[in-house]
Amino acid sequence: MPDTTRQIICRCEDVTEEEVLQAIAQGAATADEVKRLTRAGMGHCQGRTCRRLVNQLLARRLGQKPADQRPVTQRSPLQPVSLKTLADSH
Amino acid sequence: MANTSDVIIIGGGIAGTATGYYLAKHRLSVALFEQGHLCSGSTGRCIGGVRQQFTSASSIKLMMRSVELFAGMDQELDTEVHWHPGGYLFLAHDESNKQAFLDNIRVQRAAGLTDVRWVDAAEAKEIVPLLDTAGLLGGSYCPTDGQAYPFAVVNGYAQQIKQLGGSIHPFSEVTGILSQGGRATGIKLANGEEHHAPVVVNCAGPWAKEVGALAGIDVPVEPERHEALITEGVEYLGIPMLVDYRADGGYFQQFRHNGQFIGCYSPSPRVPGRSADSTFEFLAEMPRRMLKLVPALAQVKVIRQWAGSYEMTPDGNPVLDRAELGGFYVLGGMCGHGFMLGPAMGEAMAEFVRSGEKQPPFPEFALRRRFGQAEAMK
Ligand SMILES: Cc1cc2nc3c(=O)[nH]c(=O)nc-3n(C[C@H](O)[C@H](O)[C@H](O)COP(=O)(O)OP(=O)(O)OC[C@H]3O[C@@H](n4cnc5c(N)ncnc54)[C@H](O)[C@@H]3O)c2cc1C
Ligand code: FES
Repeated sequence: MPDTTRQIICRCEDVTEEEVLQAIAQGAATADEVKRLTRAGMGHCQGRTCRRLVNQLLARRLGQKPADQRPVTQRSPLQPVSLKTLADSH
Repeated sequence: MANTSDVIIIGGGIAGTATGYYLAKHRLSVALFEQGHLCSGSTGRCIGGVRQQFTSASSIKLMMRSVELFAGMDQELDTEVHWHPGGYLFLAHDESNKQAFLDNIRVQRAAGLTDVRWVDAAEAKEIVPLLDTAGLLGGSYCPTDGQAYPFAVVNGYAQQIKQLGGSIHPFSEVTGILSQGGRATGIKLANGEEHHAPVVVNCAGPWAKEVGALAGIDVPVEPERHEALITEGVEYLGIPMLVDYRADGGYFQQFRHNGQFIGCYSPSPRVPGRSADSTFEFLAEMPRRMLKLVPALAQVKVIRQWAGSYEMTPDGNPVLDRAELGGFYVLGGMCGHGFMLGPAMGEAMAEFVRSGEKQPPFPEFALRRRFGQAEAMK
């Protein structure tokens, strides 16, 4: 199997597969825990790109089925918005 | 027996993991139980500010100790907690705040915090060139206050607890305290499992009252909702934590390790309860307050907002004590300062438990004290 451990899982926060696997080895069993250990999912896109990949790694390592995986908390704003735009709103 | 340890800790935030770590360092076996994941309570929702500018000698000294612990933490915990002494600048826009800050500075310096000083508006502008100083009289500035990354600190402590032979149990809600003959003997989990220890420490943060009630102990801690937001990372501008005392003020800082701005303000009126709901009002109001102080941040983008609980006591001081039930201890009620107080308070709690002392180390943090004057600094 090719070595994928240097592969970037979270592009926004520059988190590699190796780092996610390390978090899982430290006891993370949910995408929320991986997020808090590695920052994967905390970036500009708020996990839109990496959440699926993190869940796949969790599934592979821990034998989880997608249905058993706890959903990650989603938080507003849904797109990054500038301080000025927000300050000028309502 | 696998289900027996020297100490059981309830709560996987800063209070629980710090206490657990310092106990494990004393060679006690520690089992820590957390209802969600580590940091799922207040600690994972805080903004990472660490300051020594308090108004009572005990808090000032504890915070000086915490700063020392944060500064040595990477080495001690073999991790990277992103401690950075970026400073705190409290801003005074009226005479009464200025007078209060000058009085506080006197108390702080007398307690040994010689780094703190009054700066006038011109010097504030030198420290923060991007600061809008309209109406500013000056501020209380301490360059050795700073910031650290909460998840890294908690995880660092937790990993070390495991290294030292202790155990961490996430997703394990404590639903009962076991006792016999007036002494705590262990806990019961939601799944029915029992774990035993002669010492049980309540580090449940905003849930401290409920966990106390499981043991029949009244813990005077009430949750109060506070909201926060964070921006994308931009170039680090060296801005210290700015604390604006005006009615429409707030506090925010920039993390050095990734350039993100993070901030919050105390709502008026207060919002009692443990709701973690975010509001659109905050999402508009916080940026207004930030831009009033630092207009140059206008184009920086907010990526996330959330809310969490402050854990309030009637006088604004924490609780560090043993309770009426033998072997049952309480560390909490940090009133929105628990991340910064956590390392030193955890260390003090561990020493208190280990020593078996009857009298708590800080009378003003006793569980059954008379609740009087409130701690004045936000
Ligand atoms: C928006 C915001 C900003 C803040 N900013 C700062 C700041 O800049 N600096 C600072 O020092 N402080 C700040 N604070 C305050 C700080 O977050 C808290 O004081 C601190 O995190 C309290 O830590 P703790 O360990 O006591 O509580 P928590 O972190 O809440 O930990 C308690 C844990 O106990 C668990 N628990 C509860 N009941 C049970 C049970 N029955 N069984 C098992 N587990 C249980 C909870 O799930 C929780 O994880 C802020 C708070 C908020 C909300
Ligand atoms: S790719 Fe992970 S947060 Fe954007």
